[in-house]
Amino acid sequence: MTTLHTDTAQSKPRQRIPLISVVAVVFVAIWLVTAGFPFLWTAWGSFKVEADFFSRIDWTFALSGENTTRQTGGPFTLGGYQGAWIDQAFWKATLNTAIVTVFVTTLSLILGTLGGYALARSGRRYAFWLLMVALVFRAMPHITLVSGYLMPFFEWNIWGTLPTTIIVLVAINQPFTLWMLHSFFLSIPKDLDESAMVDGCTRLQAFRLVIVPVMWPGIITTGLFSFLLAYNDFAVGAMLLSQENQTMIPKITSFMGSIEQEGNIMFAVSAVVSATVPLFLLVMFFQRQIVGGLTAGAVKG
Amino acid sequence: MAEIHLKNVSRRWHNFTAVDDLTLQIPDREFLVLLGPSGCGKSTTMRMIAGLEDVSSGEIWMGGKLMNHLEPKDRDVSMVFQSYGLYPNMTVYENIRFPLKIRGIPASEHKQRVMKAAEMVELTPFLDRRPAALSGGQRQRVALARAIVREPNCFLMDEPLSNLDAKLRVSTRAQIANLHHALKTTTIYVTHDQVEAMTLADRVVVMKGGIAQQVGKPMEIYDRPANTFVASFIGSPAMNLIDGDIADGTFSNPYLTVSGLPHAARGPVTLGFRAEDVSVVSEGGNLSAPVYSVENLGDSTMFAIKGAHDDLISLKADKTARMAIGETVHAHVPAAACHVFDRESGLRIDGFDNQAVA
Repeated sequence: MTTLHTDTAQSKPRQRIPLISVVAVVFVAIWLVTAGFPFLWTAWGSFKVEADFFSRIDWTFALSGENTTRQTGGPFTLGGYQGAWIDQAFWKATLNTAIVTVFVTTLSLILGTLGGYALARSGRRYAFWLLMVALVFRAMPHITLVSGYLMPFFEWNIWGTLPTTIIVLVAINQPFTLWMLHSFFLSIPKDLDESAMVDGCTRLQAFRLVIVPVMWPGIITTGLFSFLLAYNDFAVGAMLLSQENQTMIPKITSFMGSIEQEGNIMFAVSAVVSATVPLFLLVMFFQRQIVGGLTAGAVKG
Repeated sequence: MAEIHLKNVSRRWHNFTAVDDLTLQIPDREFLVLLGPSGCGKSTTMRMIAGLEDVSSGEIWMGGKLMNHLEPKDRDVSMVFQSYGLYPNMTVYENIRFPLKIRGIPASEHKQRVMKAAEMVELTPFLDRRPAALSGGQRQRVALARAIVREPNCFLMDEPLSNLDAKLRVSTRAQIANLHHALKTTTIYVTHDQVEAMTLADRVVVMKGGIAQQVGKPMEIYDRPANTFVASFIGSPAMNLIDGDIADGTFSNPYLTVSGLPHAARGPVTLGFRAEDVSVVSEGGNLSAPVYSVENLGDSTMFAIKGAHDDLISLKADKTARMAIGETVHAHVPAAACHVFDRESGLRIDGFDNQAVA
């Protein structure tokens, strides 16, 4: 088969392109459906009632919305959203998530740029070992770190609050930001800092006025990853936050974990959709910077 | 405007010495070239003057002030880097203006000074562009303009031409020579290209292994190299160096005999002479050997013969000279064009007449 194809391709090179494109298009289509379907299905289902979306009788109820029509008078309902956002105060979790992500991203970037820059420009051997230690910490499961923190936090009476969680998330995230920004800084030639310093800058001015502006793609990419870590965090938030301070992801879990109650599971579904939409928008908005940033770090200039 | 004085300056890392006990007096307005192969310590020397590298021992004085512990920004030098070191996020205008801005020079002066600097390096049409939209030569001119815009004590140039192609190198070299003539600022210039050194320098420092081998005017170094290293580094092609023995003013080895040398030395020496001082003759002469290679350079023809250690000895002949490889070439090496070096140490041995001058 293969030989035959190669022969045809060689004698008539024109035919080769359509065949490969067809295979590629089919493959991409399958992949797209596999990857995208669960999200679309969840988004669709979030406007139904539990009896439809989790129907044990007929799965097509989720499409037709029979029970939804019977219970609410229309094929779509905002019941899940209303329950989650208003009755269960999901807006508070959203607000908490916003606070946590903003602070985690900002702090991670401040510490990461300064530290990454210092490590990239230091010629000392310990710079290498610091990065290695950072890697070890990064490799550990988050939960091992959190369980270690738990006791002292109780004793100092700082358990359950947002600042505590922010500090822990920044600490967990720092090895990654250090590594990432370190490699970005390495890709910026040392001549740039040096010419800034000869031109009259202090080290810090050279960093602020010359290096950081060149580094924007790298900072945005790293910031985005930090943001995602904080946004998607479950382990830390679930362990360290009290009920009223919970962020979105632990909150969603608590919807599902609570005792079977009609409609409650739909709160979780609509909360999941609510939590996913900002991510889509964010990635679409920053896609150019992300790709630019990733390749800028990968190829040493 | 300032004179620069290096006193016994050294730079060491652990057990490696990059610059070893270098002492240099650079008068105001001089164009000094540090010349040497890579790793000879020339760039390190410049970076110590700029303050980008710590001084392990010794002192650097500039305009009567000790510089050792000053930050680069407080030394009032400007530097041109091999890789240009331009700020990619700024336009050409902003790049040139950056030193003025950061040093708090009144904003009212900026425009006029930037324009003047840009004019000197013929960059006026490109002021709105970013470095990425410039050619290599234009980028290097931006770096030059940024260096001259604030009229510092001293210019430092670290191999500014080595990233340019051959043609641009010649024109930018001329531009640098012209700038120095116009501004008369003390300039220290690092290069591994002896042509740049010869054409630009008031004085040249030839370095090797962190040690200054010879300091002098280009022609002095060309005419009287202090040792075999300098002899083999300066000139294109490099000076021919031939091992042999000297006795009673006569140098001899299997294919070359030079008599009438004004040297009292006896024993094993290295004889040096330049390809262009040789005259290729059809008969006789004091050198004869089989031709190893023939190179037509257009204005002349180079014959190479093989020395004792497989090194090539080049002889410059008229452009009409024709010879086949393997034929025996005869040449006359005049005694007056010969340099004699100690074979062991490589140091120059002066003849009677030279000693009198020295």
